[in-house]
Amino acid sequence: MRRKQNFWDEIQFIDRRWLYLVLGVFLVLGLNLKCAVSNVCAEEGKDFYATVMKVPEGGTVLIQSDWTTSTRGESQGHLESLLRILMTKRVKFLIYTFADPQAPQVWRNVIRVINEERESQNLPVYRPWVDYIDVGYFANAEGSSIAVRNDIRRFFSRQVKDDKGINRSIFESPVMTKINKVGDADLFVIVTASATLDVAVQRLSDRVNMAAMVTGVIGPTALTFYQSGQLKGVAIGLKGVYDTEYMMANGLNTPGPDGKIVVEYDRSEAPVPKITEGKTLARGASYIVALHFALGLVIFAVVVGNIAMFASRAANKGGKRR
Amino acid sequence: MMPWLAQADPRLNMWALPPYSPQLWIAVIATVLVGILLVFGLTFLPTNLRRPIVTVMTFLAGSFYVGLWLWPQPVAKVETDLPRDMVESVGFWFQDAQQALANVANILTAFLLLLGMYSLLRIHLGRISKKHPDRAFSVVLIISMFLIVIFGYADWRMRTFLDPQNLLELKTNWTIWNHGRDILFDGLLMQMDAAMFSLIAFFILSAAFRAFRIRSVEATVMMVSALILIISLMPLVIYQSEMLIKAWFPNPSPGSFNPENYKIGTIAGWVKSNLQTPSLRAVEFGVGLGALAMGLRLWLGLEKGGVSV
Amino acid sequence: MNLVTIDFIKLTLGVLATIGLYSVLYQETKIYRFFEHVFLGLAAGYALVAVWTETLYVNWWSRMFGSFAEDGTTMAEPGRWAYAILLPIGLMAYFVFSKKNNWMSRIPIGIILGMWAGQQVFIWWNTYGPQINATMQPLVPTTWDTWFVPYMVGMEPAQAAEIRANIHLSQAITNFIFLLTFLSAFSYFLFSFELKGKFMLGFNRMGRWFLMIGFGAIFGSTVMARFALAIDRLSFIFVEWAQAASRFFG
Repeated sequence: MRRKQNFWDEIQFIDRRWLYLVLGVFLVLGLNLKCAVSNVCAEEGKDFYATVMKVPEGGTVLIQSDWTTSTRGESQGHLESLLRILMTKRVKFLIYTFADPQAPQVWRNVIRVINEERESQNLPVYRPWVDYIDVGYFANAEGSSIAVRNDIRRFFSRQVKDDKGINRSIFESPVMTKINKVGDADLFVIVTASATLDVAVQRLSDRVNMAAMVTGVIGPTALTFYQSGQLKGVAIGLKGVYDTEYMMANGLNTPGPDGKIVVEYDRSEAPVPKITEGKTLARGASYIVALHFALGLVIFAVVVGNIAMFASRAANKGGKRR
Repeated sequence: MMPWLAQADPRLNMWALPPYSPQLWIAVIATVLVGILLVFGLTFLPTNLRRPIVTVMTFLAGSFYVGLWLWPQPVAKVETDLPRDMVESVGFWFQDAQQALANVANILTAFLLLLGMYSLLRIHLGRISKKHPDRAFSVVLIISMFLIVIFGYADWRMRTFLDPQNLLELKTNWTIWNHGRDILFDGLLMQMDAAMFSLIAFFILSAAFRAFRIRSVEATVMMVSALILIISLMPLVIYQSEMLIKAWFPNPSPGSFNPENYKIGTIAGWVKSNLQTPSLRAVEFGVGLGALAMGLRLWLGLEKGGVSV
Repeated sequence: MNLVTIDFIKLTLGVLATIGLYSVLYQETKIYRFFEHVFLGLAAGYALVAVWTETLYVNWWSRMFGSFAEDGTTMAEPGRWAYAILLPIGLMAYFVFSKKNNWMSRIPIGIILGMWAGQQVFIWWNTYGPQINATMQPLVPTTWDTWFVPYMVGMEPAQAAEIRANIHLSQAITNFIFLLTFLSAFSYFLFSFELKGKFMLGFNRMGRWFLMIGFGAIFGSTVMARFALAIDRLSFIFVEWAQAASRFFG
């Protein structure tokens, strides 16, 4: 015969839909609570920001953008903050994907939105050919990465429209004129939600300075590459988005209005400046309170789940364990 | 001699013909036909020859990359560079051929991706023809598929061939085809993609509540590690702990005890760097060794369940 | 229709689709299955378009047929007809559905896998060489002045540089823990056969615990990743759509 359930049994076997509802309510509350959140940036995130900021004005960055909107909550914030930094520093970029046929349309939407945002702030917009080159999707990540390693000019050799609509070789574009080998790029940044990080690091990390913006799922793996110096810096997950935005707003070793340094950076004595134009605190800042609520809820759920288990066991001592 | 070889352009030769010329069309169609004939011929191949063919193709494809790694390679070669000796000639050949092979790999992988869509279409067309009880959903799937194919292709065609001045960069110049693609792709597909994956957040909370229990030493160790990491992802908590440490040790003198080491962020960072990273590295290392062994087995045709027949 | 209206329609459709998919959290309904099939159809259809527009057209068709300059007559790139052979090779993969000749589908798959296999020899060292190097950190302290790295803010730069150049006892222990974690977890992962002897069994058990620490980290990080996605969805409904609605309704 089924024994009578006590309170802790009820808690342990609560209908999962109540949990879903609580999470939904917490997230909506977190999203609507607008407050400034003081931050302590992760070391790998500081290195990421410092590495990107080291790229000289007018330099060229290679961006491998391998995410689609399935990870929009993290990766879109990553790409947006990266583009905002590059656009502020007038750094040119070549963008491509080795991962997903949907990825090009996704980054095209992000570039369009950031350009609209800059236009509304009377800032110069980024134009294809002059400021960036979009070479789209390549289906085979492994072979393509080795081709980039061996001869980037041959691999990306193709005709694209210039700013006057005339088809020309991409290497005549101001973006690519100084690129003869992959190491000529000032930085390679991979924005990814998948194991394409491994493919890129394995084939390119000894030829070009690499940094990564990855989702939380890939973060622990990325840290092993960061510890070995194969990645110069990593922004991980939503916390990584907020870290990057926070450093964009406050710089590293840079005094704030009260003269105190907001984000300290041990690796360098010299300050790494903040971003002085356009948006800095954006998607990461608007999501971070909700993330606190959600993570707090998980900790609470784990603790309550365990208490319920032990309490239920104690209450039913001698009875059959369910 | 074939007439098109006599043309003056140095870029033209037996392998490279004028764009969209009749002779190019003939060469392309003839190549496809010869290829189809070869495929047809392969259907008559005796069973005992099938495995060697697959194994040899795999071995040759792999050998190229082994050779590419072993042979000295030119660095930043430009088109005007000429090899000085046999070693450089082979190095140059490897590098040029690798570019062609990367293209081949991209194209073949694309054909393999299309196989997935073909398979999906086949299943759902089968459901409709067999009057499966869920056939209405299959109809929905096929209609959605065709709608985005039509609008997506039309949008691409307009942007690539009919918009020399990049006017479609501005939304105000969009036509119904561009808006149609945008509504289907950005309005529906992207939002549903994000929604589908975000469902896991709800399941993970339920799983954490029900399954993350202190039942063994291993489970406890895993839980403590997870909780430390989760706390380190909450900036407010770390910041408040820093403030607390600063309040307890307001002015440490240089060269003395370092209170920074006792901040939650520093402790979590230490756990991350010195326990989590090396343990994950061990896993990665094991996976890497497995991949190397699997690679060698595949390359040498020893893998029974892989590409062998 | 003006852009505000189109934008509103687009976002409203997105919200309806999101809610339709979220309905599975309550229970699996026909509404969920409808949107699930719309999603699958759109995803497969867009992949079909993108594989052509992003890869096959650019890397295969354009190379095979060449291209003209803007005047429409001058050659920009010649056509390389040999690329045509990839069509029958690629189509061999479709024999996977044939009972008699499905072995042929293994030819294109074998070529791709062969390339991957050949690369493993090269990438193994490129990946793990730097990692082995980074794992071998100094285990012997070079100074006994203090056991821990002292507080360095406000210190003379030369003195701070000297402290940084030395290995303190705490750092040596940390490096030892790093190495021990790596070796024990690796041994647990690698030596999956039966072990004998107290030392090896203990070392193996320790490896299992350290692996659990790694998996805990993955869990913690994954939790953040998944919540970020849910936050984004709710932000889409309660912020982005709400803004579009307020623009639309003026």
